[in-house]
Amino acid sequence: MEETNETLCIGIDLGTSRSSISASNGERHVVDSYVGWPVDMVARKLVKKTVLVGREALDHRVMLDLRRPLERGVIKEGSAKDEEAVQELLRHLISLVGIKQKSKNRGKVRAVVGVPAEAFRESRQRLRGAMDGVADSVMLVSEPFAVAYGLEALLHAMIIDIGAGTADFCVMQGRYPTEADQRTLPNAGDSIDERLFKLMHEHHPEAQISIHLIRDWKEKWSFVGEPKSRVTVSVPAKGKATEFDITDEMRAACESILPPISETMIDLLSRVEPEYQEQVRNNIILAGGTSLIAGLPDAIEKACAELGGGRVTVVKDPIFAGSDGGLAIARDASAADWEKLSL
Amino acid sequence: MADEVAETKLRILREAIRSNIEVVRPDRVKPKESLKRTPLVWLWGSLLIAGVSYLAIPSLVVSRGKEPSSSAAILEARNASSSASQTPGTAAALPVPSGINRSVLPLSVKRIIIDPGHGGKQHGAISESGVSEKDITLDIALRLRRLMENAPFEVIMTRETDDTLSLEKRVAFANANNADLFVSIHVNWMEPREVRPLETYYVGASDDPAVIKLASIENRDSGYALADYRRMLEKIYFDARRDESHRLAKTINAELYQSLSQINPELENRGVKMAPFAVLIGTQMPAVLAEVSCLSNEDDVKLLTNPDYREKIAQALLRGLRSYATSLNGSEKKGS
Repeated sequence: MEETNETLCIGIDLGTSRSSISASNGERHVVDSYVGWPVDMVARKLVKKTVLVGREALDHRVMLDLRRPLERGVIKEGSAKDEEAVQELLRHLISLVGIKQKSKNRGKVRAVVGVPAEAFRESRQRLRGAMDGVADSVMLVSEPFAVAYGLEALLHAMIIDIGAGTADFCVMQGRYPTEADQRTLPNAGDSIDERLFKLMHEHHPEAQISIHLIRDWKEKWSFVGEPKSRVTVSVPAKGKATEFDITDEMRAACESILPPISETMIDLLSRVEPEYQEQVRNNIILAGGTSLIAGLPDAIEKACAELGGGRVTVVKDPIFAGSDGGLAIARDASAADWEKLSL
Repeated sequence: MADEVAETKLRILREAIRSNIEVVRPDRVKPKESLKRTPLVWLWGSLLIAGVSYLAIPSLVVSRGKEPSSSAAILEARNASSSASQTPGTAAALPVPSGINRSVLPLSVKRIIIDPGHGGKQHGAISESGVSEKDITLDIALRLRRLMENAPFEVIMTRETDDTLSLEKRVAFANANNADLFVSIHVNWMEPREVRPLETYYVGASDDPAVIKLASIENRDSGYALADYRRMLEKIYFDARRDESHRLAKTINAELYQSLSQINPELENRGVKMAPFAVLIGTQMPAVLAEVSCLSNEDDVKLLTNPDYREKIAQALLRGLRSYATSLNGSEKKGS
């Protein structure tokens, strides 16, 4: 798409595993949150780029100094390389919606960046710094809040945004959420990967696997409860392609996040004013890539049963719910507000 | 209905924008907290001096031992700060201190310093009805010590009576006693007077517009630009001590809010914040400063004059300390 000199509003969901962007010009894109630099001259010649972002970086990882800058939900402190990686990731996302950084005709870019709740608390200044030169004005919000805003689930609702690095909870009570309305857990997609990796080593020590392979399996076949079919994978064992049934391991790994998620949800619900608890229980919304685990809404509804029941839904578009919410915020903010938030 | 949703969206959006503006452009918003809070001016002045002094003393930064060049550079920076001919731009050459290894931190909590804020000639905040911060903090601290008699911690107080005690002495006392944790108890005073905030601080560069503005005034002649000062603080406190302080602050703040909001539904949880308070900068162990109530609000004052409420505060502080200690290694150990 061609860029214009008009103002462009964008919403970015800066995730630990995937990042998405939604722009007011209709463009929407998602990339894996990986950034890599060639490790030496040879690698540079082979990849023909100074920096690679997203799937391309992942595919060439053996030749790269590969970074996943928001791995645990925050920009790793003290790591200039990770800060640089965040900036490269943001630049890449912006370029995908047709904005050329150095163009004289470039219009103003107003960006709302949704970040994991922990990064929102801990890394606001660094995230803002990373946007310098990428956008003209920036607003940072927590991911679950961006989702809530986009869905207009602003009153008596609970958003559970389960990403890769963290699961972020946010109760919306008709006001901008405070820390007391939010919780963050480290039990999310990555912890499932680690658990599955460990179980594979324990049960199938001969299988040659990598964490990236595990992640791909999880994205294809993750489930809790009863499986739709057995999960079998083919991986090398002593150099020979071998089939393994990993159904039980997959279930155990995925179900490992249920107890902490249920406990946190119940704890947050118990802090809601008693007369509104039922309304919130019946308006629990799952977002984030890990919310796509088959059977997850039913499992969380079961956890609500002991409180008197509840209704759990998954957002229609978990990949873009955060960035679409960010875009909605960007569009609703006035020009005067954006002026105050200029970089 | 549609109007209600639109109105709610607009209100929430305004709050989100204000929150962002406060964080990123503190100079563009009117501070909520009155800068005319004269009893605290000396405190901020002291903490800025303490902060800059801390930056200039290499031995206080554990990990610098491996980097002699950093020490030299810091001394250069100190010289630069005292030179009238230097411009703030000189500070750009300041070293970047490395983080502190988490292994230097204790893995169990044995000894806790309880620091009742102010005392003696230093009243701290005073309510309209004449209640002094120094009396409230001492009472809560004494209650906390009593409650801790059965807890597996050794408790030491920076003051047990109505004594004047400088911040420097409090810091030195905590460090000399090799304490594992430091908890400073304070009571807030804030405009507008309707607000009833609860907040808990740990060390770090502040995003608070009131603090930033005051710091910039006090720091004017230091030789550093305020941005440099903030960067230096941010770099130094990239360490495990800050992380542990943050965790401790979160635990204590959560317990305080959970307990006190049941009695005081108007209590506003402003959560955990970073600030360069002198007692947090100078202490060498995880340290927090809890502003447990607000003396500018007369309803809060009424509660604070009730012994039951002060007991609740002490109990919540104890629960926070216990919870933090348990999270370190799953058990608490009595000090030797």
